[in-house]
Amino acid sequence: MNSAAEITSSATPWADSATVLADVSDIARDKLAPAAYRIDHEGYYPIDIMAQLGEAGAFAGHLDQYGSRYGLAVSSMHEISRHCGSTGFMTWCHDVCGLYMEQSGNPALLDRLADHAAGRTFGGTALSNPMKAFTGIEKMALKAKKVPGGYSVTGTLPWVSHIAPGQYCGVIAAVDRDDGSRSHEIMFLLDIDERVQLRKCPEFSGMEGTSTWAVPLVDYFVSEDQMIADPVQPFIKRVRGAFILLQLGMATGVIQGSIDSAREVEASLGHVNQYLHNRPDELQAEFDDMKVQADRLLETPFDGSKDFLIDVLDLRARGAELALKASQSALLHQGARGYLMTSAPQRRIREAHFVAIVTPAIKHLRWEMAKQMQEEVPA
Amino acid sequence: MSDQNVDETMPWRQYICRACGLIYDEAEGDPDSGLAPGTRFEDIPDDWECPLCGVTKTDFELFERPEIKVPDQTTQFNREPGVVVVGAGVAGWSAVEAIRTLDTTVPVTLVTACNGDVYHKPELSVAISRGADESALVRESGSEAAKRLGVQLVSETFVVGLSPTLRQLRTTRGSLNYTKLILAQGAKPVLPAQLPYSQCWRVNDLSVWSGLQKVLTKGKQSVAIVGAGMIGCELAEDFARAGHSVTLLDRNTAPLSGLLPEEAASRLVNSLKGLGVTYRGGVQVASVSEPENGKRRIELESGLPIEVDHVVAATGLATDNRLALDAGLEFDQGLAVNSQTLCTSDPNIYALGDCISIKGMSCRFIEPIKHQAQTIAHGVLGLEPVNYDHSDPVIRLKTRAMPVVLHGQPSVRGIWRIIRETPEELVMEQYQGDKLISRLSVGTSAQSRAA
Repeated sequence: MNSAAEITSSATPWADSATVLADVSDIARDKLAPAAYRIDHEGYYPIDIMAQLGEAGAFAGHLDQYGSRYGLAVSSMHEISRHCGSTGFMTWCHDVCGLYMEQSGNPALLDRLADHAAGRTFGGTALSNPMKAFTGIEKMALKAKKVPGGYSVTGTLPWVSHIAPGQYCGVIAAVDRDDGSRSHEIMFLLDIDERVQLRKCPEFSGMEGTSTWAVPLVDYFVSEDQMIADPVQPFIKRVRGAFILLQLGMATGVIQGSIDSAREVEASLGHVNQYLHNRPDELQAEFDDMKVQADRLLETPFDGSKDFLIDVLDLRARGAELALKASQSALLHQGARGYLMTSAPQRRIREAHFVAIVTPAIKHLRWEMAKQMQEEVPA
Repeated sequence: MSDQNVDETMPWRQYICRACGLIYDEAEGDPDSGLAPGTRFEDIPDDWECPLCGVTKTDFELFERPEIKVPDQTTQFNREPGVVVVGAGVAGWSAVEAIRTLDTTVPVTLVTACNGDVYHKPELSVAISRGADESALVRESGSEAAKRLGVQLVSETFVVGLSPTLRQLRTTRGSLNYTKLILAQGAKPVLPAQLPYSQCWRVNDLSVWSGLQKVLTKGKQSVAIVGAGMIGCELAEDFARAGHSVTLLDRNTAPLSGLLPEEAASRLVNSLKGLGVTYRGGVQVASVSEPENGKRRIELESGLPIEVDHVVAATGLATDNRLALDAGLEFDQGLAVNSQTLCTSDPNIYALGDCISIKGMSCRFIEPIKHQAQTIAHGVLGLEPVNYDHSDPVIRLKTRAMPVVLHGQPSVRGIWRIIRETPEELVMEQYQGDKLISRLSVGTSAQSRAA
């Protein structure tokens, strides 16, 4: 969409993309990388580092207010994911939450956007269930009833990341008619206040430190000030491409980190590593080819055409597949040292698996692409 | 050969129409034209015509399915990815067959959005009146053909992305690598916004046609066909012969606008009218909707709306450009291919059939496909090149009541002259300056079509 060059005023925060990216890279390398083990193993929620990343502009690039620079947002996420996949994932959560707030057009939410974009407040997204529900994979978890001044919402979301008391996340709930049939869905910003008792999740094999909780809601009142979209389907249709495109940075970061790890041992192990499949140069070539497609799609994140959506789904699936391949290869290249609990390659394997299963997972992407490509005929 | 005793000891043979690919099977005969099952090819009268395209016996040749011995393929370590073909229409299967005739060992993978069943697409526009259904049109199931030809068939799978530098094809079932890629994914019906896909049938592939065929078996119904091009006219005759009430609409006043001069078009219209078709030229469809009564309502830009049981859109085809765009392949009304090698702008990717364009012109006919397949098979296998020689195929309108045969390439700037005009037949020629650019015959005389 807009390029960095169009943002000329020096008063605009984070106007220069190159500076933002350099600052984000520095923080990721110097602060995040050393914390990656704590995050992965001790479940340390790196909100302090995220605050620094926010201040540097890591979470603002894609927002219209800051130049709609999707390339910058994805590049920032890439630099973060390169050193810590968990934080890369939370960057995506935070980024799409900002997208919802901005695209809602709700003045109350727009008032909160500056703090969000700068990483002074934090919020995530709980759209895994509704996204799957919309495409027919599962049922909606939350139900909303119209009440004076807003809605009352009940139900439980099994796991929502990057949330904590005092934070918030974008949520969708179904509104049913009296006869039980579906009327429509609403989307709102769920504030995690005293009414919401977050419940611990079972431990995952990776992606710890993402502050992931079960969210039970009982007659939670949603006010007008929290509304993102009502009805939600046209809104989702509009932001769907951008939502999925933004995830790309998670995959590319894991891929780049894996290639880095494979190269790291080239001097010492190159003589035996030559016998491996998926050598760093091959992976890099595949990655570069993918980046050409990514750069093209990142130019028009709100293209509403079916072709564009299929391209985005294809790119997202490519990213996940290459992350799996690259992370596996990195561990084989590093051998025992990559298998150490403190090493990045073994962590990235789990991160790559996460990229491949987080909504939309590879299987969802293929299901949806097949659905989109099906010819529509008269009933 | 007329001796019945000799006949019975000999296996039934099949003859293929060189023009349209229809197969005459001696065992089945052609009962519609009075040839009983078991009629030997030699015993067919000389004035018999191809039931599909109207050429005569002399345009048929013995059809022998190539005997291809394919070794059992075991999984090989790091084997060459081989040839990947996209699309299992006439073009895709022709390419596979041409490759297998020359090489029985190269790995071949065929990726198709459908189930890969082998059928002959031109038959779709004349099949309803013959009472055919999907199973009658399938000549060989996809899995049988794949087994016969030693091909890995990846069916019900859509191609979503293509990276020429990686030689990687991405599908809804994962990605495939290829040594050479052959694109034969065809063209898709293009419906203007006024004709929603959810309301209008199209006749371009077996599965959608079969949906229409099933609804048309439920007794006499009213059908509106939008677009009086070749397919629209053929379908109008086919549905009318099957007893349905047909309205044929076109925004131009005459059918096959741009191809046929007025004199020829009016004969065609009269012929269709004689079969009970209502022809309405010069009308613009404003919208198609589904009122409560289960019918379809066509609103026109001017005039009263039309209410029918079914709407069929025959508004033309186009090649999907998404893949080409993604892969950076040259695209110009279709996948641009070299006119002699049929190679796209990428040296490892070839294309044939409805999806291609040669010098900016698409060519969506059956006749050239087998030649294209030959050229491509030699190309992908790295054999001595067999150049493709493109010429304008003869256009044969499968309107049996008033066959139309058109040679050459008519131009809107050319001048038509009447060569012969009798109540049975009209022969015309079109000149641009002094140059004869096309020749047309409309009518029932078989001789005129043998030219």
